[in-house]
Formats: sequence, structure tokens, C-alpha cells
Amino acid sequence: MRNGDYSPNRFQAQADAVNLICGAKTQSNPENTVGVLTMAGKGVRVLVTPTSDLGKILACMHAAPEQTPGACAPLSLGARLSKTPRLGGYEARGPAPCLEIGGEMNLAAGIQVAQLALKHRQNKKQQQRIIVFAGSPVKYDKKVLELIGRKLKKNSVALDIVSFGEEDEEKNEKLEALLAAVNNNDSSHIVHVPSGPSALSDVLISTAIFTGDGEGGSGFAAAAAASGFEFGVDPNLDPELALALRVSMEEERARQEAAAKKAAEEASKQEKGEQQSTSQDATMTENVNPGTSEPEKKTHDLTDDENALLQQALAMSMDDSSSTVAVRDTDMSDASADDHDLQLDRFILPHQLPVDLFMVVEALCCLLENQTLYEHRSRLAIPLQLSVQESAAEQSNQTDVNKLLADQSFVSSILTSLPGVDPNDPHVKDLLASMQSQSEQSKEEDKTPKEEENKSSILYTVLRGVQAGGACNGI
Amino acid sequence: MSGESASALQRSQVDLLDFVDWSGVECLNQSGSHSLPNALKQGYREDEGLNLESDADEQLLINIPFLQVIKLHSIVIKGPEEEGPKTVKLFANRSTNLHSNVNDFPPSDTAVLSEDNLKGKPVIVKYVKFQNVRSLTIFIEDNQSGSDITKVQKIVLCGTTVETTDMKGLKKIEDH
Repeated sequence: MRNGDYSPNRFQAQADAVNLICGAKTQSNPENTVGVLTMAGKGVRVLVTPTSDLGKILACMHAAPEQTPGACAPLSLGARLSKTPRLGGYEARGPAPCLEIGGEMNLAAGIQVAQLALKHRQNKKQQQRIIVFAGSPVKYDKKVLELIGRKLKKNSVALDIVSFGEEDEEKNEKLEALLAAVNNNDSSHIVHVPSGPSALSDVLISTAIFTGDGEGGSGFAAAAAASGFEFGVDPNLDPELALALRVSMEEERARQEAAAKKAAEEASKQEKGEQQSTSQDATMTENVNPGTSEPEKKTHDLTDDENALLQQALAMSMDDSSSTVAVRDTDMSDASADDHDLQLDRFILPHQLPVDLFMVVEALCCLLENQTLYEHRSRLAIPLQLSVQESAAEQSNQTDVNKLLADQSFVSSILTSLPGVDPNDPHVKDLLASMQSQSEQSKEEDKTPKEEENKSSILYTVLRGVQAGGACNGI
Repeated sequence: MSGESASALQRSQVDLLDFVDWSGVECLNQSGSHSLPNALKQGYREDEGLNLESDADEQLLINIPFLQVIKLHSIVIKGPEEEGPKTVKLFANRSTNLHSNVNDFPPSDTAVLSEDNLKGKPVIVKYVKFQNVRSLTIFIEDNQSGSDITKVQKIVLCGTTVETTDMKGLKKIEDH
């Protein structure tokens, strides 16, 4: 199951196909229910009982690793009049942080358990269908399989088989025999997917397994899958999402390259910093100004407000620490002539700052714009989410962040630029003073968790101070 | 046979065909081309050429819900001599049967059909067990000759309804 003959490996290909089919089935009819069970390893295990909640199904496919060996992804679906359980015969473990890989699939037991699960479905009017993903060799006799098939037919359960992975003649014969035993008026299908460059999911989309259930399946598949759109999302239907996906892909690429370059950057820190400050000024004023090679990549298709924000934030976080501060101060003063709201917007989406700073800055912005946090967030919801997810995993940027927070001048410059905040306000002055003392202490320390806590507390006090200041000034 | 039906009528039994809830009628293991309406529906069942046939093996599981509560008096099952049903089990009000769990519960009644029955002689069921029937399940376990396919040509259910609100037609309804 870790073979690379299906990209990226068999297990992943199967998991993708499973997710796709689940989605298609749940969308094609609101009364459909789908369940998943695994066949290999220690024994048959039902991962998800039939449900119409796609989220639960996807979650179980990405669940935390468990020690039980063996995993399949059988799914049960129920259409308007049908419910189909599916079996997937594969084992999973290894890189995928969900299911364990190991053992061989137990086809007969798996099918029987699936049938049982279907029997106890809540809506008896649903029709029953089992979809099997058979990756391992089949160790049962043809006779046994035919018996099972006949039993399924007697109980009007349809069966779809996706045969992939291990290829031996017997396996195909056996599965064909099984299908013949089950098939009733062509309600059951079998698909052989040979290994190759095209993904398992793509091959499945065009088969009867997707379209066999009727209209909805093919519509969903066409929209979601490789219909020619990058990332599988139609820019016409969901421009924000497509944009966010594209941007985060680019920035991920850029980040990786930057990480590779970082070692070589030690000597040329200062130069790079200056170059980047130039480019940052450019982006700040929203001109597309190709600077060094690195920022170039980030700026090459800026057209949007949000794009500019993302790119600039990325550039900021990619900076080395020493140049960061100087650069930012420069930017701040340059930007003071700009629209304040816009400027603060630019700080809203730094990908790699932790959530703390995020939310604080966001809140500051909201205060200015007199929006509720909710409205503000919904405007920037999707890119924000993506950024947060990425930043949550990102540890290397803590250095930048801490330096940022520790720089009292930076924070004070933010505060001064806020239209509603009067630097001479006693509250604000106190805050700045306390921050300064704290940041001086922490500058000498190494990065410790305690330090980070201090940073967070600084931020929160700043926020409260600003709110107080704002209130005082009647905002 | 007419004598039998006459006596049935005298007792004010009616053909329960009108009270069958067709939307819920199911038959497991039937062959696609020879399906239940052939044996149950008014016009088809009289036609000797149209049969209900089983598919994967010789068993058939037929579930018939009714529009209202009925009392079942007798049934008629007609079929060919060789492949006609032999052992027939009846279940009242058990609509969740599968082939696998049909033997989990004792049937309300069991009938072993003889040749006469297959020619149309009604089988009187245990009336006391069928006083309050919302749905009837007929399980045909095997056939006369033991062949792989069971054929049923006609199924007639005779009984009475419980509520007296059905004034359709001029059918006599049993008074208490």
C-alpha cells in the first residue's frame, strides 16, 4: 500500500478516491448516507456508521493514528431510495496520519459486515450498495465469493468493485465471478484501474460507479475534479477560494526556497534587507515593482488588495531579524501618509505570525473601521483561515515574531498611527512604558515560553489600552 | 373451486387485493423479468403465462403492507406442479425481514402446499394469529421439486378489514 505505482502512493490514491466518492454520493441526494469500514489487518472495523454528514466521513479518513492495523475505506451510500455501503480493501499506516497499513484484506468478512451495517440502516426505504476498493490480493475461493454474491443479490444489495493495486490473474477472475453473482440488471459494476500516471480518482470519475447512481454524481465530479481548473476549484464559482489557494501555493513554494537560501543569506543579510525594504515600499504603495528575485516571485501577479497584503506580509515575515525592525519603521513612516485603514489592513494577514498577534491586530483594525470583528473576518475569512492553519505549524518564524513584539518602537508606531489613539493619552503612555520595560528584559533572554507569554500579554494590554483610548476619544 | 370461493364469500371474506399498499410491496430474490406484480396484480395473475420467479435460489421473500388493518382468513397460492412453492411461512406485521433473519422468529403460520393448493384450493390460516395485520410477509422456503427456481402464478389473500369505514363498492363487510 505504500507502493508508488499509483501517485502519490496507493493508500493516498485510494483515500482520495474514497473521499471523492463520498462527496459525490452525499451531494447527489440529501437522503444518501455513507459509511466506511476497513477490512485488512486485525479484523473488519467500521470506521463510520452510515451518515449523511460528509465532514464526519472525511474526518475519520484523516483521524489520528491508531494502533489497530489494517484499514479500509468502505463506504455506504444511500440514495433517494438507496443506501450503499462501500468496502475498501486496503491497509493503511505510515505517512498518512490516520489509518494503519498492514496485513491483507479480508474480503468476505468485510462484505458481510457491510451488509450487516446496511441492514440496520435507519431509513429502510434506502437501497443498499457496497463499494469495494480491492487493493490486496483476494485469498478466498471463487466458490465462496459466488456464494456471498448470491446472498447479496437475494437481499437486493448492489456491489461495485474497484480493483487496483496487486494484479494477478486469479484476482480479476474472482472479482468478475463475484460481480456476476451479485449483478442484477446491471446495478453492479466493476472497474479495473491499472497503475499509471493518472490518479485513481480521475479514472473513477468517468466510470459507472460515479455516474451509475444518476445525475448528481457526475455533476459533482465534473465540478470538483480535474476539469481543467487549477486546484480543482472553479475561479468563477469561488474566486476567493481559488485565489487563496493559488496564493498560498506560491507562498509555500517561496517559503521553501527561502528556507533553502537562508543559510546562504548570513553574509548578505544587510543587503538583502535593504533590497527587500525597497520592494516593500513598492508593495506598500501598491506598485508592482520587481525588486530582488525573492520578492519578485511574490509580486508577480499582484492585482488585488488582498494579494498585496499577502505578499507584503510574506515578505515581512521572510525578513531576517536585524533588518526587520529598520525596514518596518521605514515603512511605517512612509505609509503614514497613506490611508490608515488600508495600512492596518496590510498587517492583518501576516501568515506566519501566530494567532495572538493576528487577532490583536485584527481587533485594532476593527476598532478603527467601526466594524464588528465578525464582519471584518468574513471579509477576509478564507485567506485568513489558510494563513492561520499554516502559521499554526510554523515554528521557525517565532524568532521573527518575538523580535517584532519585542520591538517597542514598532508597536508604539502602530499605536501612534491609529487615528483614534492619542500618544499623550495617559493610558497609552503607561502601556508603552510597561512594554518598554518588559521588552528590555526579554531581549536579553533566550527564547523561552515565558517570553512568549510576555509578548502575548503585552499585546493584550495594548489592545485593552487602545480600546480604552478609543473609548475616551469617543470612537 | 367455485364452491370454495362461494363459501368464502358467504362468510363475507373479501379479496384483500384492494387493500394492498402498493408503494410498500417488496419481493426479495425475484427475477427481474418475472416479478411480483405478475402474481399479485389483478390482470396479470389471471394470466397463466405470467409468473413470479425466483432468482439466485429457490427462496422468495414477499412483503405486503396494507392500507388498513385486516384480518386474514385464507390464502391461495397457485403455481406449476414442479416449481410451485411447497413450504410457505407467513409472518404478520414483520416488515423488516431479510433472508438472513427470516428464521430468527417463529412464523405466525406455516403451510405446506399440496397439489390441490397449487391448483387453487385456499389454505385456511390460523385466523387467531392474523387478527390485526398491518403487513404480511410470505416466505417461500422451497418448491415442490427442489429445483433452483420457484414459480408462483397467483397469490390471493382473503380476509376482512377491521375498520368499517371502507365503503368502496358494495362489498359486504363483516359486522361484529
